Formats: sequence, C-alpha cells, structure tokens
Amino acid sequence: MCLGIPGRIIDIRDDGGLPMGTVDFAGVRREVCLAYIRDEVEPGDYAIVHVGFAISKVDEEEARRTYELLKEMSQLDELDWMEEVAEQGLGQLDETTS
Amino acid sequence: MKFLTEYRDPALARRLIGRILSTATRRWVLMEVCGGQTHTIVKQGIDELLEPVIEMIHGPGCPVCVTPLEQIDKALHLASRHDVIFTSFGDMLRVPGSTCDLQQVRSRGGQVRVVYSPLDALELARSNPDRHVVFFAVGFETTAPANAMAVWRARELNVSNFSVLVSHVTVPPAMTAILESPDNRVEGFLAAGHVCTVMGWTEYEPIAERYRVPIIVTGFEPLDLLEGMYLAIRQLEEGRHEVENQYVRSVRREGTVPARELVAKVFEPVDRQWRGLGTIPRSGLGLRPEFSDFDAELRFGLGALHVTEPDACRAGDVLRGRIKPFECAAFGTLCTPERPLGAPMVSTEGACAAYYNYGRFRADQQQAAHRE
Repeated sequence: MCLGIPGRIIDIRDDGGLPMGTVDFAGVRREVCLAYIRDEVEPGDYAIVHVGFAISKVDEEEARRTYELLKEMSQLDELDWMEEVAEQGLGQLDETTS
Repeated sequence: MKFLTEYRDPALARRLIGRILSTATRRWVLMEVCGGQTHTIVKQGIDELLEPVIEMIHGPGCPVCVTPLEQIDKALHLASRHDVIFTSFGDMLRVPGSTCDLQQVRSRGGQVRVVYSPLDALELARSNPDRHVVFFAVGFETTAPANAMAVWRARELNVSNFSVLVSHVTVPPAMTAILESPDNRVEGFLAAGHVCTVMGWTEYEPIAERYRVPIIVTGFEPLDLLEGMYLAIRQLEEGRHEVENQYVRSVRREGTVPARELVAKVFEPVDRQWRGLGTIPRSGLGLRPEFSDFDAELRFGLGALHVTEPDACRAGDVLRGRIKPFECAAFGTLCTPERPLGAPMVSTEGACAAYYNYGRFRADQQQAAHRE
C-alpha cells in the first residue's frame, strides 16, 4: 500500500464539493479522489494514486515505467482490492451475505 | 554481474556501480527505509553486488509489518462483533493476531470487507445506516491523506455510523529512534520516495544535521536505488551530511501541500507502538480531539486491551537490522508466506517475504532445500 499506482485521468467532476475522477489503471477503471492535486491536472494527465487518492502528477513515460515495474514486483495488489470492491459493491448488505 | 542485464539501462547501472565502488574508501552501512525499496534491492541482488563497500540494513518501512499485535487484536475484536462491518485494505487480512487473522474471522461469519479506498468504507456506512462501519486506518504518510479525508468527509456529511481504528505511523520518528539506539550502525539513509512525495523533506533536515547522517530521498527502481546509494556514499566520503533528493521526478521539498494540510487538521502526533520496536514517542498519528466521535477505540471501549508479542518471531530484530531474516530460527520452517508467524513474512514489502521469495536462505537451509 506504500507504492502508489500510476493511472490516466479520464474525467473530472465535483461530488458534493469533493473533486473526483475516473482513472484508468491499464484497463481497470476506478473512481479516484483528486482533491489533493485538483489545481494541477486535467483529463488525459497521469497521476500516482495511493489507495484511491491521487497524490502527484507524473508524465506519461514515468507512469508507464512505474506501472511496468510494479507489475514485475507483484506490487499491484490494490488492483485486486478494486476488483473485490467492484464485485461486492458498496450498497446495502442483506443479512444473509455474511 | 549477472543482474545487470535485467536493468532498464544496463550501461547506466554499470556506470553507477563503478562510481560507487571507486568512490568508497571503506565499507559504509546504509538503511533503506521503504519496503518497496527492500523488495527491489533483494530481488535485483543490489546489496550482494555492492557488498564490498556497502552493507544494506533493511528498515522498518512496511506498514503491514510494523502494525503492532495489539492493534491487530483490536481489529479482530471489532470484526467479530455482529453489529460491525469491518473494512480494511486487502493486505491486512492475513496478518496474524494473537489467535487468528481477519480472513479467519470472515470465514467464521464476521463481516470483513476489503476496500480499495477509505472512501469506499464511508460509502458502505452511508448505505448501511443500521450497522456500524469501522475502517482499519493503517499505513505511513502515503495513506494518511486518504484516511484523513474519509474522516473529514464523514464529519462533513454527518455520517454517525462510521469510525476508524487508527494505527498510523510516521517515518521520521522511527529514523530518530534507530539513530538513538545504543547499538545503531546506520551511517546514512535512503528515505522513502513516495512518503516524501506527500510530505516533502523538510522534516529530515534537522535529523541529518543533528545526527550527521546523509539522507537521500530515493525512488524504488533499481537505478534510483543505485543513484541514491552513490549520493549517500559520496556525502559520507566527503564528510557531508545533508538531505539530497534523488527522486526529483516525483518529490518537491514542500511535498503535496493540500494533502499535508488535511492530515494536520485531522490527525496529531501520538506515541505509537511498533511491532518489534516498542513504543516510539510521537511516531504515530491519532485523531485530534475534535474528531473523537470517529475514533473506534473510544466508541467501542478498546483502550484497555494490551497484548505481548510472541517469542518465536524475531520480527523486531529484523526490523531493527540486528539480524538478517534467514538468521531467525523460524524463517522458512515455522514461518513461510503461506503460514506467516510474523508480519514481515505476510507483506510483499516485508523483508522476510522478500528474502524467502528470492531464495535468500542460510547456507545450511539452502543445502536442505536442494536435497528436497
């Protein structure tokens, strides 16, 4: 969880005062909070994302290289967590799901 | 030099290695702080390549590894409650507590959910108003901005069934504790690049000055690490002790200011216990009093739970750099990534797991492995 994963910002919007955006991580798309770098980025830019929060803007070359390295190091666990969240959803739990 | 072919730019790697070897007039002891750096160093054999002039000690920069047993047990306690949905980053699920781990609690019917972002946990609380959602807020300065925002947002949106079990740790006090230790051997640090992306490096300047150690802000690619080591060795040979930034493509001196500001609004420094290292003063982050409504320990009255660490696991000695992982009797026998005894064997950022996965065993262990 200490190594951020680079992704490409697809769109940016305001969610009740919180800047959010869709970020593409080599094909996996996820909602990411952009509050900390909102003034620096536009759609199409790349950012390093830690647990759902963009922390710094990077260029495309750096993003690509970092992603490849993380893949080699098997440090992309966070993508699995994204999938788990996507599968289970964040809606109401019924009593039988436990 | 079998490792060199694997580098992105083997010629540059060779040049850096040559410069390190020709600059050093003696053997220096450096510590890499970040678990991601440990992983790269062990995988690429960088420490073995530079063994004549550098001893690398692997630092405590793996958040999973340093989370004390006590906090894990508190997590297990909360996860077992019927009225609680316990949420956590995925890599905490297999960390052993005193009796079991979160995965086992889940298989026995506990509501344990993996989330990717702490905002996922908040969303879960909003859609389940009749349950209480607890988020396990762990990590170094890299996850603190995310966790701070979840709490900030919970207050803003008035979400009263959400709280956090906080086990945040911060890097600079741990470095200070290592330097203050009477048996310290570390002469220079490679500071964690992504932590500094958030926090910048101003906090490291008084440490470099006071303890006269070079601190190099370093990335986690092989070439980053070689360059960081070269900059550290050059300072040591010239008798300098400054903070230098190798990771210029990501880190600015002031860090990511809005993130630092929110972390400071939500959290304050607190004394924190580290697995194997004991309690380090002001080395953790706790919720500020104005956010105490969101403190799971207060809400569920967990303050009195105290736990002692198991004897067989020597995680503390590994995290302090006193022994290499394979010098622990349990390493590779009682303790493997499949059945971890201690946290450094659980996380891929942990020194024990890195040594195990890349075949770093004691000579006799290696022979035994060959016989099998």
